[in-house]
Amino acid sequence: MFATSTQRHFWMFKDETDVSNARLSANIKYISSRGRNMTVAERETHFLNVVEEKSLIMSYEYQLRDFCRKFHPPMPRYVVGTALHYLKRFYVNNSVMDYPPKEILVTCVYLACKVEEFNVSMDQFVGNLKGDREKAATIILNNELLLMQQLDYQLTVHNPFRPLEGLMIDMKTRFPTFSDPERLRPGIDEFLEQVFYSDAILIYAPSQISLAAIIHSASTSKENVDEYITKILFSEDQKRLLNLIEAVKKIRVMVRNVQLPHRDTIKALEKKLVVCCNPDNNSESPAFKKRMKQSFDDEESFEDGQYPSASSDQVRSMLMGLSEMGKI
Amino acid sequence: MDDYQTCPKCKTTKYRNPAMILMVNACGHALCESCVELLFAKGSGACPECKCPLRRNNFRIQLFEDPAVDKEVDIRKRILKEFNKRQEDFPTLREYNDYLEEVETIIFNLVFDIDPTNTNKMIDNYKKENKDITQKNRNRQSQEEMELEELLEAEKNQQCEKANLYVNAELEEKKQKHKAREKLIDELMFSDADAKSIVASHVQATAALAKEQPKAAVQAGSGVVKSSKFSSGIQIGLRGQHTNSFLPIPKQEDLPLYRYTAPIFDYDGPPPPSIEMLGKLNYFANIRAANITERAGGYTEAMSCCRALQEAMGGLFYSPQSTHKTAVLATISSTQDTDDMETT
Repeated sequence: MFATSTQRHFWMFKDETDVSNARLSANIKYISSRGRNMTVAERETHFLNVVEEKSLIMSYEYQLRDFCRKFHPPMPRYVVGTALHYLKRFYVNNSVMDYPPKEILVTCVYLACKVEEFNVSMDQFVGNLKGDREKAATIILNNELLLMQQLDYQLTVHNPFRPLEGLMIDMKTRFPTFSDPERLRPGIDEFLEQVFYSDAILIYAPSQISLAAIIHSASTSKENVDEYITKILFSEDQKRLLNLIEAVKKIRVMVRNVQLPHRDTIKALEKKLVVCCNPDNNSESPAFKKRMKQSFDDEESFEDGQYPSASSDQVRSMLMGLSEMGKI
Repeated sequence: MDDYQTCPKCKTTKYRNPAMILMVNACGHALCESCVELLFAKGSGACPECKCPLRRNNFRIQLFEDPAVDKEVDIRKRILKEFNKRQEDFPTLREYNDYLEEVETIIFNLVFDIDPTNTNKMIDNYKKENKDITQKNRNRQSQEEMELEELLEAEKNQQCEKANLYVNAELEEKKQKHKAREKLIDELMFSDADAKSIVASHVQATAALAKEQPKAAVQAGSGVVKSSKFSSGIQIGLRGQHTNSFLPIPKQEDLPLYRYTAPIFDYDGPPPPSIEMLGKLNYFANIRAANITERAGGYTEAMSCCRALQEAMGGLFYSPQSTHKTAVLATISSTQDTDDMETT
């Protein structure tokens, strides 16, 4: 139930400024740790600011949806919803420059498949990816624990799809004067697709979002479901009705303001990202590869036991250094 | 000793024919195997000493030197299969002793052929009276036999495991020595350091290894043994059936009785209809009916309908709040600032 869920107790924001403040703090934290030796102006040009990060994330959300649309076997929409939730939550706490969004994207989808019990084996999953499959598999498995940790291990997500079904059933049973609410479905589906690109899912309850979808679709087809809401749903509570109307209005505004960022801007931002990203977490960078190789070598030498991992000339240089110190 | 075991018929001894096996028959006289075959090749025969009619399968391989003893042992076994009461079945010790004496009398009579008809009558009487107790005791005995067998097997397994462990430990040692020697040779070949220092370090390493070995062997010896108990102390297998060794849980008299309180859900929205009311309110017309396989598994349309409605109604009254940790921390710090400002 949403009212008792961790989603409500730990992952809700008051409004859009609240969300952007959280993103801002993550951004600032990253810049201050990485750009310690730069001036303010240099930092501006080198790193991404919050607005740019937001556009990048939105483009990656679109990419996620495309990936899921082409997924084989066909992915149900609640899995996509959960994956988008995870992506959003992850990048509220962390900066885009810190962890490469492409890797986090696939890890989100994989984790969402597991959590929503949509059973896909790893081989099937990486079969849908282009490029090196084994490498992708290792990337996903390495990032999975990180993703769960950043989500505070609170993995249950309430999506608006089931409340939508419930409202449909209720409307058909208690509001028969409105004929065939199924006509509203295409508009509803489109609305729900768009709502995931906004921050509404982090601010409002999923049932409120689905009600907004119904109202939106009804108004676009010039129908009126207000009677249903006032007479039947909220027949007792008038002030809460006002609260709900307010919420629905805001949700619709947010969805209207959703805009896919332009492809050229995205390309420029991605180039900038490559420059300012964190090399420790980016599996492409040479520093990362060197670190992995070193840890691998350390593991090997442990099995032998007595023989140190340093090569012999390193040992010799150490010994020489020590003997020189002795001379002094 | 070999001379003693003579077949009365053909007079061969074990000395002359070391493979000779004496068989004993129901009347207690011995015959060597070849004589037995001879006797029965001519049809069913009679015992050469006492002329009582015999059958082939009444001959058993002799276990004891004295065939009379063997005969008695056989009769005793047969009788005790029937007379298998134990001390627990008798209220007093005196009755148990009387019973034992009766059994011994019967056996004595049968061995020495005293009063066979009466004895047999006594046996039959006893059998009729005590059939069920006999059966119960028989079952109990077979259980005990199985438990004994299991104990023996467990011991055997443990010994096997220990032996295996020791063998493995020895193999490991040999392998390690071999490895170390190869390493030494490799180092001497490829490394640039001084040969003497390599050898010295190698000797040190093997000395350190030798010290570790006894410790490792002790550890390996006490290592993985097939356990016979669960971690709570209950024994694995049929031996765990001695439940009379457990004490009953002490009963606490003065605790309050459990009272059922129905859980209260806060939906944060208009209350959805309860699952019992859904049918009457005709919700099922608008939901897909459960097919036969689903209904067999216990699923009804009411369940998914109820769940959908609960999710739909739940949260409708929700108004946005900051619950995310960054937002919560920000509000805490901001309230602290305002407090400071007020005091100054």
